[in-house]
Amino acid sequence: MGVSLSCHLPLAQEGIKPLTLRSGLFSFLRRPSLSSSFGSTPTSSDGIAQLSANEYLVMAGTLHGVHAITSRIAPVAKSSGVQTIESESFKMTIHMTLTGIKFVLISSTDMSNAESILQKVYEAYADAVMKNPFYTLEMPINATGFETRMNAIVAAAGR
Amino acid sequence: MTIYALYIYDRHCECVYYQDWHQTRKPQPPRAGGTYRRDVARYDEGGNGEGDAGREEEAAKRKGTVAGLPFDEQAKLVYGVLLSLRNMVKKLSGRDNEQFTAYRTSSYKFHLYTTPTNFHFIMMSDPLADSLRGVLRQLYVGPFLAYVVRNPLVDWDTEGQEGKEPRSRGVDNDLGDHEDSTGGRMKLLRRSGASGCIATNKD
Repeated sequence: MGVSLSCHLPLAQEGIKPLTLRSGLFSFLRRPSLSSSFGSTPTSSDGIAQLSANEYLVMAGTLHGVHAITSRIAPVAKSSGVQTIESESFKMTIHMTLTGIKFVLISSTDMSNAESILQKVYEAYADAVMKNPFYTLEMPINATGFETRMNAIVAAAGR
Repeated sequence: MTIYALYIYDRHCECVYYQDWHQTRKPQPPRAGGTYRRDVARYDEGGNGEGDAGREEEAAKRKGTVAGLPFDEQAKLVYGVLLSLRNMVKKLSGRDNEQFTAYRTSSYKFHLYTTPTNFHFIMMSDPLADSLRGVLRQLYVGPFLAYVVRNPLVDWDTEGQEGKEPRSRGVDNDLGDHEDSTGGRMKLLRRSGASGCIATNKD
C-alpha cells in the first residue's frame, strides 16, 4: 500500500486541522460545514496539498453539489451520488450515511479497504460523538474519545 | 461490461458528440429555446428540437426506459461535474497537472480522458468496469483524428476565430461509419456493446 500512516494527529484544540499528508480523512455534516479532519503519513512531494480551513469549506460545498448532480445524470434509472473519485495519484472515497453525513477518505489509489475504514469511522462517530452529551449537532467535533479511536483506525489502515 | 454513453466536449465547453447505448434513462430532445446543435447525437435527426414531454415519456415507457433530462441540460450537468471535480482534484493535490480520471456511483462509472488540445472524452460504463481511459485515448487517436480532425468538412473548431461564424454544430459525420483503417478500434467498442464510435448522420 502506498500509504504509511505513522501518525501524530494533534488535533484536539481546533476542530479543523488541515490535511498535510498523503492520506487523510475528513467528514462533513449535512450542510457543507467541515466537522473534523485527520491527516497522517510522512509528507512527500507528491502528497496532498496543505489547504486552509476555508478552502476545505469550499471543497465540501463543491462535493455536496457534485454528489447531488451525479445521481441526476445517471444513465440508468436509479443511482446513488458519487462514491469514489479517482485521479492519477490519489482517490477519494465518500461514504454517505442514511442521515446524510458524508465521510470522505483521501488515500492512494491502491487502497482497497477504504470502504471498510469509513464504516469503522462511522461507528466511532456514532459511539464517541453522537453519544457524547456535550456535542452540539453540526458543530466541529472536539472529543478526545473520537480522536483516540480515529488515531487507532488511521494507524491500523496504514499498516 | 456495459457501456452507457460517450460524450465529447471541445475546449469551449460544448458537447460536440454524443452517443448512447443500453441506457435505461435516455436524455430527451432539448426543450424549446434550449441550445440545439446539429450533428451532435444520432437521435437528433428525428426530433424537431422541441421535445413534447408527454409524448416522449409515453414512448420511453413503451421501450422500458425512463425519460431523462433534456439533452442540453444533461450535457451541461455532465460538463459541470467534470469541471468541479477537475478543480477539486487540482486543489487537493496542489499540482496543476494532476488529472481527474474517473468517478463511480452505485450504478455507473464515469471515465475521462482529456487531450492536449482540451477535448474531453467522457465515457459512462457500469460501475465495475476497469479504467477505460485507454479506450478513450484510442478513440481520439483513431476515429477522432481520422474522421474529424482530418476531415475538412467538419467545423471542428471555429469558435472564436475572426471572420468565421461561431460553430453551430457537432462533429458527427458519415465517414466514421466505415470500418477500414481503424476497424480494430471500432470493433473494440462494438464488442463491449457499442454500435459505432464517431458515426452516422445524414447531412
